[in-house]
Amino acid sequence: MSTTRGIDFAHLSLQDALDLAVLIEEEARERYEEFAEQMEVHHTPEAARFFRFMSGNEEKHRAELAARREELFGDAPAAVTRAMLFDVEAPEYDEARVFMSAREALRAALRSEEKAHAFFVEALPRLEDGAVRALFEELRDEEVEHQRLVKVELSKLPPDPGFEPDAFADEPVAH
Amino acid sequence: MTRDLIIGMAGSGGDGIVSAGESLISACAAEGYHAIMTKSFGSQIRGGESSCRVRLAVDEVLNPGGALDVAVALNWEDFLKFGAELPVAGKTVVIYEERTGVAPDRLPLVGITPNEVFAVPIGELARKTAGTERAKNTVVLGLLAGWFGIAEDAIRRGFRKKFAKKGAELVEANDRAFEAGIEYAREHPLAVSRKMESVPTPGAKLLTDGNDMCAAAAIFAGCRFFGGYPITPSTEVMQFLSREIWKYGGTTLQAEDEIAGIGAALGASFAGLKAMTATSGPGMSLKSEIMGLATIAELPLVIVNVQRGGPSTGMPTKSEQSDLFQAVFSAHGDVVRPVLAPTTVADTFDVTVEAFNLAEQYQTPVIVLSDQELAQRKEIVDPIDTARFELVERRRPTASELEDYQRFRLTDSGISPISQPGVKGGNYLGAGIEHNEHGDPTASGSVHARMNEKRFRKLNSLRRREDLFTIEGERESPLALISWGSTAGVCREAMQLAAEKGLKVKLLVPRLLYPVNEDIYRSFFTSVQAGLVVEQSHQGQLYRLLRMFVDVPADVRPFCRSGANPFRPLEIVDHLRNLVLSLQRRLQESLQPQE
Amino acid sequence: MQATAPVCAPKDFKSDLKPIWCPGCGDYGVVQAIYRALAAVGRLPHEIAFISGIGCSSRIPGYTTAYGFNSVHGRALPIAQGIKMANPDLLVLAAGGDGDGFSIGGGHLPHAIRRNPDITYIVMDNQIYGLTKGQLSPTSPKGLHTVTSGYGSLENPVNPLMYVLSYGAPFVAQGTPADLPGLAEMIEEAIRYPGFAFVNVQSPCVTYGEEEQQIKAHKASMKRLSELGHDPSELIRALDVSQAYGTELHTGVVYRNPAPPPTFEALVRARQQELAPRALPPERILDLFLQE
Repeated sequence: MSTTRGIDFAHLSLQDALDLAVLIEEEARERYEEFAEQMEVHHTPEAARFFRFMSGNEEKHRAELAARREELFGDAPAAVTRAMLFDVEAPEYDEARVFMSAREALRAALRSEEKAHAFFVEALPRLEDGAVRALFEELRDEEVEHQRLVKVELSKLPPDPGFEPDAFADEPVAH
Repeated sequence: MTRDLIIGMAGSGGDGIVSAGESLISACAAEGYHAIMTKSFGSQIRGGESSCRVRLAVDEVLNPGGALDVAVALNWEDFLKFGAELPVAGKTVVIYEERTGVAPDRLPLVGITPNEVFAVPIGELARKTAGTERAKNTVVLGLLAGWFGIAEDAIRRGFRKKFAKKGAELVEANDRAFEAGIEYAREHPLAVSRKMESVPTPGAKLLTDGNDMCAAAAIFAGCRFFGGYPITPSTEVMQFLSREIWKYGGTTLQAEDEIAGIGAALGASFAGLKAMTATSGPGMSLKSEIMGLATIAELPLVIVNVQRGGPSTGMPTKSEQSDLFQAVFSAHGDVVRPVLAPTTVADTFDVTVEAFNLAEQYQTPVIVLSDQELAQRKEIVDPIDTARFELVERRRPTASELEDYQRFRLTDSGISPISQPGVKGGNYLGAGIEHNEHGDPTASGSVHARMNEKRFRKLNSLRRREDLFTIEGERESPLALISWGSTAGVCREAMQLAAEKGLKVKLLVPRLLYPVNEDIYRSFFTSVQAGLVVEQSHQGQLYRLLRMFVDVPADVRPFCRSGANPFRPLEIVDHLRNLVLSLQRRLQESLQPQE
Repeated sequence: MQATAPVCAPKDFKSDLKPIWCPGCGDYGVVQAIYRALAAVGRLPHEIAFISGIGCSSRIPGYTTAYGFNSVHGRALPIAQGIKMANPDLLVLAAGGDGDGFSIGGGHLPHAIRRNPDITYIVMDNQIYGLTKGQLSPTSPKGLHTVTSGYGSLENPVNPLMYVLSYGAPFVAQGTPADLPGLAEMIEEAIRYPGFAFVNVQSPCVTYGEEEQQIKAHKASMKRLSELGHDPSELIRALDVSQAYGTELHTGVVYRNPAPPPTFEALVRARQQELAPRALPPERILDLFLQE
């Protein structure tokens, strides 16, 4: 299933492309915030901390891209809306699990970065504007860098013992 | 050496605190101890704060107890959320996760200084020995086994059984975590030894809860139809029956709602089967219309209400005793139906069997008022000898009675032989409309009066039964306690503690709450000058009910409060002592010469 | 959709209450879709009443800033209709799970639909009873093993889409949080539709559902009705497509009556206006018994 709707990549302008990039980061930031909140409420603090960290990262990227957009195009109205994209870089809702380990959280983030990378790679051949191409190549390469960073963090973590958290956790409660 | 230990533990759902409690009580049963385990949770479905209390003893355990002897806190935020459910005192050995960073002399317990405090690197020990922090609960079990000498071998055997299907690696990891706990305890002994005495001749024990006892008793009593709906905290009754009843040729129906559930059960009874439904307060409200139908149609039916916090949706996971008024009075028209209440987990079996007997004998709906604590607390009980029970069947018409069959024939006892579809000559109309002896609808005042009188009179012999009441303590004592349901066990212990302090108290525990046996209460009150009716409801419903039917002495007062605020034995003793003191003061003042 | 300047943003409909839902629950996506739909419709939070029954999904009104009423099991529709009859100018939403709506509440559904109040009813369908720990529900597939059907369910599941279509619902749609923009759009359209609008959301239960039937699986298996050439204006086509409930995950508008029937509120108002001239002043009511 494609993650965008109603976007004509062939005729995408640089403004549209930047708007799209900003929204992609915004969606990811919001999703990581949601996940962090879920994890905090469900006593899964390590994953919560990591998701907060990721939402901070996404916000940084968003702000950078938004600044560039502002510089080039001021506050011209955007044609691209949130309704046109879904789960591009944001981890899917069912990536979250109660009791998930930090390692599992990082893996979810890694999958999201890989997904975002694939999005830009797949879009590139369809782009006709040179400046937009350059932007997408830049974003594509950044995703590779993000993946590398996440992998470095992953390597620092101790290995998962392989036991499901459910082996020790209590059963759900009936209400 | 100690003979009675109360352990309270708290953490988050992922820590497996309740799982640890279950392993512990399981192991205690194997070693012949008696025990009660209760649990409490936050409102999340998973991963909320969670806690459990395990009270184990060499002798019978009467209730979950008061202040903790041992407190285990995997984190303080969650522990403190449970407030008065996990009361810490000076005597409490406090064990907590070192990584919380809290200093042993600066525990977040306002005004309380526990004598022994241990900051244990529980998570680290788990990670080092089992490879995962998730094995924290196993380390905790090791600490408890090491410090308090509880059931070491039985706990190990328990792991083997529990994790058998998940692989040898997990079993070994658990063993190592367990050993780590034991070793830590050995290397950091308690200042004052609190090791549990072992049980001299451990006999066989049952590990069960009230809901299971209720469902098992139903099968035993001959129940062959259950209609119900999931509602916390009664759903386990339906789940047990949905596993077992088929084996006896019976049926369990999870209906589309509470009303359909009791409706189906009533139909099964009309067709001649012993039938049951189980629910909690909200479901009772829904079922009240069909219960009224059962009363006027004079059909046997057992309705189990596992009481929870009310009113309305209330608190589904908390115990309360506030549905007595509803059980007794919730019906339009003039209705009396028997209300029974179990007082312990084991007693739930007896009372449920009795409920079926009463339903059959008196051809009436019978309400069993259990409560969340009895229903869901895990308890180790001595085996029950089912040979001591007699089972009652409804009175069916003889051949001669079928020659001119009158379903609602006026008899001396008020009980008419009851036919059922399939019996030739026994055809009748069952309905909610008022009827004559034949069953024909009527609006005649005199017929209606006679029918009401019949339906009330048939219960007279039940009103006079004494075996559904227990009186303990000195018969002539001037100081009295009355209690019911799960609070009765707290009062039993209070009575023992009061005697140790020189206060001689007698205790009356009714299992039949309605109709009220006025004679028993009257004779009980003859020697009484003062006392307490102890129960978990804001209104003190049994106290109020007794005052409707009996002259309750003025100084027998209600000691009652809303659910989720469990009573503790010592506070009842204190309350009694204060009552006595205030009466002595009043007596002194009345004897002063007037100025 | 009409391009009206938004009065509120989606986040203006999000309350501060933190959901109890397990991480991975489909309902997290559903509530986001509702925020977006409400923002698009342009009504203010205080003009919206959101009523539910009992169940995990029935907690949803508390997670919005609208007036919420998390009532009792299966009774959301009667209560929602009372609110709408008292104040027809409110935007009224009702929600619940498949058990709440089709089991205990099933008896209320046909009557709510045949009155045709302008209410949007959203059901989060996960084929299980989650709040009470995993019992079977009326949409559980036959043969499903649960804690109350240990030997496999003996009953055929209900088909909610056929239910509501045969009761006469003028607007019926099905969605999934796996396609959040699509879900938000269909909820918006349901709200705008003048009459009883039903949206069935396949919102998987991460705790009691099968691992292979979570949101990821929906993404792979969902089929947009608009892409299959479905014409939602014909009831017969709608009934036909709804037969696939349980085997296919069709998303989008299943049926949209092109000639919306009059709403209950409109008929009541017409009668009130017609009879108003015949009223005696309240202080003269006993004149009815006057023998002249």
